[in-house]
Amino acid sequence: MTPKFLRSRGAKKFFKSRLATFSLFVIGIYTAIGIAVLFFDAITVDDTLQRVGPDSTPMIGEQKIEKRLRDADFHLARLESALNKKEEDVENAIANLALAERGISDKPREELKSEVARGWELYDELATQKDDAEFDAFDGKKKELKEQGIDDNEQVQKLAGNAADEAVEALVTSEDFVGSLEELEGIVAALYRPLTGWDATMYNLRRSIGTDRQGRSISIRALFSIKIALQIGVVSALISVIFGSLLGAAAAFYGGLIDHLVVWLYSTFSSIPSLIFLIVISYRFTGTQWESSLLPVYVAFCLTFWIGPCRIVRGEVLKIKELEYVQAATAVGFGKFYILLKHVVPNTMHLMFINFSLLFIGAIKSEVILSFLGLGVKNQPSWGIMIRDSGPEVVNGFFPQLGAATVFMFILVISFNVLSDALQDAFDPKHVS
Amino acid sequence: MSAERPAPILQVQNLTTSFRTDDGILTAIEDVSIDVHPGETLGIVGESGCGKSVTSKSVMRLLPPATSILSPESKIMFDGLNLAHCSEKDMRSVRGARIAMIFQEPMTSLNPVFTVGWQLNEALSYHTDLSKSGRRKRSIEMLRLVEMPNPEERLDEYPHQLSGGMRQRVMIAMALCCEPEILIADEPTTALDVTIQAQILKLMEDLKNKLNTAIILITHDLGVVAQVADHVCVMYAGRVIEKGTVREIFHTPQHPYTRALLESIPKSGRREHGKRLPTIEGVVPALNDLPPGCRFAARCSIAEEQCIHTEPDLKDHAFSDRPVRCHIPINQTAEVAGSKGQA
Repeated sequence: MTPKFLRSRGAKKFFKSRLATFSLFVIGIYTAIGIAVLFFDAITVDDTLQRVGPDSTPMIGEQKIEKRLRDADFHLARLESALNKKEEDVENAIANLALAERGISDKPREELKSEVARGWELYDELATQKDDAEFDAFDGKKKELKEQGIDDNEQVQKLAGNAADEAVEALVTSEDFVGSLEELEGIVAALYRPLTGWDATMYNLRRSIGTDRQGRSISIRALFSIKIALQIGVVSALISVIFGSLLGAAAAFYGGLIDHLVVWLYSTFSSIPSLIFLIVISYRFTGTQWESSLLPVYVAFCLTFWIGPCRIVRGEVLKIKELEYVQAATAVGFGKFYILLKHVVPNTMHLMFINFSLLFIGAIKSEVILSFLGLGVKNQPSWGIMIRDSGPEVVNGFFPQLGAATVFMFILVISFNVLSDALQDAFDPKHVS
Repeated sequence: MSAERPAPILQVQNLTTSFRTDDGILTAIEDVSIDVHPGETLGIVGESGCGKSVTSKSVMRLLPPATSILSPESKIMFDGLNLAHCSEKDMRSVRGARIAMIFQEPMTSLNPVFTVGWQLNEALSYHTDLSKSGRRKRSIEMLRLVEMPNPEERLDEYPHQLSGGMRQRVMIAMALCCEPEILIADEPTTALDVTIQAQILKLMEDLKNKLNTAIILITHDLGVVAQVADHVCVMYAGRVIEKGTVREIFHTPQHPYTRALLESIPKSGRREHGKRLPTIEGVVPALNDLPPGCRFAARCSIAEEQCIHTEPDLKDHAFSDRPVRCHIPINQTAEVAGSKGQA
């Protein structure tokens, strides 16, 4: 079956298109990740909630000195608070400090304590240096301006602020300061167990895009969201295409009351704006036991998405049922239902495939919108939730989370578009030249 | 008629089929009675819209049940079963297995998404209890019977890979694979070119002789009828107007319409240069506007007063023993003598 399919004319035409093959490859990777997450727990929900480092750390480009200083503060403060716990809790607290693969060093506790103290000393020195430089410059500038006779408060604040910034900039880029900071970072790094081999690779993967405001790995969350997107896309597109197509086919084929009923049903449903309908359905589920599952999303999507395939397949079947091969099938003696399933429905298969790919993309995009509104996926990351979470970050000029969610979604959506286009070109009999 | 003819296998009596339309109920065929005998070909001829296809589809009950009505007195007797009013379940056991049908358009009569083998196999598995390999063997056998080249390879091909003639052969193979007693061929050669047409007709003729199948051949092509039919039934505007053997119809047509039809065929080998080919003036009356009298009266060259007012019955006349629906049927023998006198 499969080799024969691969030898067919349509398949050859399909694989001739490099873009189509590439998009198939991309979708293959996405699917592989989705399956690995769904069935083999390659990434669990806990993984997506785990801290992998200080907050809002982009991994691309040079880090700001101030940020590096703050990160050192973060590491030192965490370990210190753990070490200061009651004697019996300390072990536990230290174990909880692990940043994913990156565990706390096995050195004796006293040694750790002294390391932390040394770190604090260095940190305090650097922070004081920075603060002093900032205040001195600010005050100096203020005084200078006063002597010059400028006393417009706003202007003074602005100019003094600029002077302070310049002074800090000059300080933190000075070799001494950077050298001390590097020493501090060395101390901080020594607090953790050295990473080797697979663990190091995994940890680097986790930090590859950066961390969000709660120090969670953006890459892991984005990868986990592939599963959510594929799950929602496949389930809701599959159910609505199968259900809608069969309903449309039955309506057109049997005609009469069934047809009237189905047409009434889909015109009623399609007269409701779909986004409002989605919101209402999702909202109805809040407070029920299914709230935190994906069920509300599935229900909302299936109830709105079946209309498209239903209408298109009904139109096609209205045409097909008058064709002679359907009459010929009746003349061979087959029953009506058998003819519908075995002769009519297979002839609408190309429409089902095209509809599936459209609805798949539609479901992923709608999921993002719903999650953004807080009505979609709950208790696990999805691209929509990532985009929603990135709101305050974007205000502060931190883009990795927004970028990761949109790029991951964009690649999947565009690959699917290219794929469905290529499939149609290659296999739709009306396009075969 | 002749004593050696076996009893008819299918008797259609007083078949009247009407359709519900926006213009009210229209009667497409009225009072059609035909007998089909095993091993014989019955040709049903007539021009477009005269009810040939409706007759065949009524027999197969293929008309849309929502809009078509078979009158209560209609009888389609087949093996003790009245097909006109039997249940859909009984009908299903007759269709395909005992009465098969070939359609006009070989291009659209096969399902485009399945292979030829799949479709043959499907019909066989529905009507026979052969094993899978047995069905495949039988499919190849049937394709060989209809003179399909390389039947083994063709089984795995899709309809679009076959030519029109080959598709029609597949249709015939499908229709005959369950050895039906009656084969209804609704314009089987209309969409084919003349050489293929001749092959298909010869094939049907051979199959009839081989399997002793009764064939109902529906066509508007008198040449086809002359070639393969044993008996002919001429229809006009929903009514049977003349019945007889092919020899009788072609040599001594008694209804003016039959004669006009025959005259309008170009004849080869006869020098008629400069002479216009005779045509039948006018058109078939619309179903919602039928004349009270003979339906052909308006186009008939010999119509009289009574033809316009009263409709003739299908009855035997004094000079012949076959039924004609005409008040003043043409007595060919007398006319031939008369025309000789004139010349």
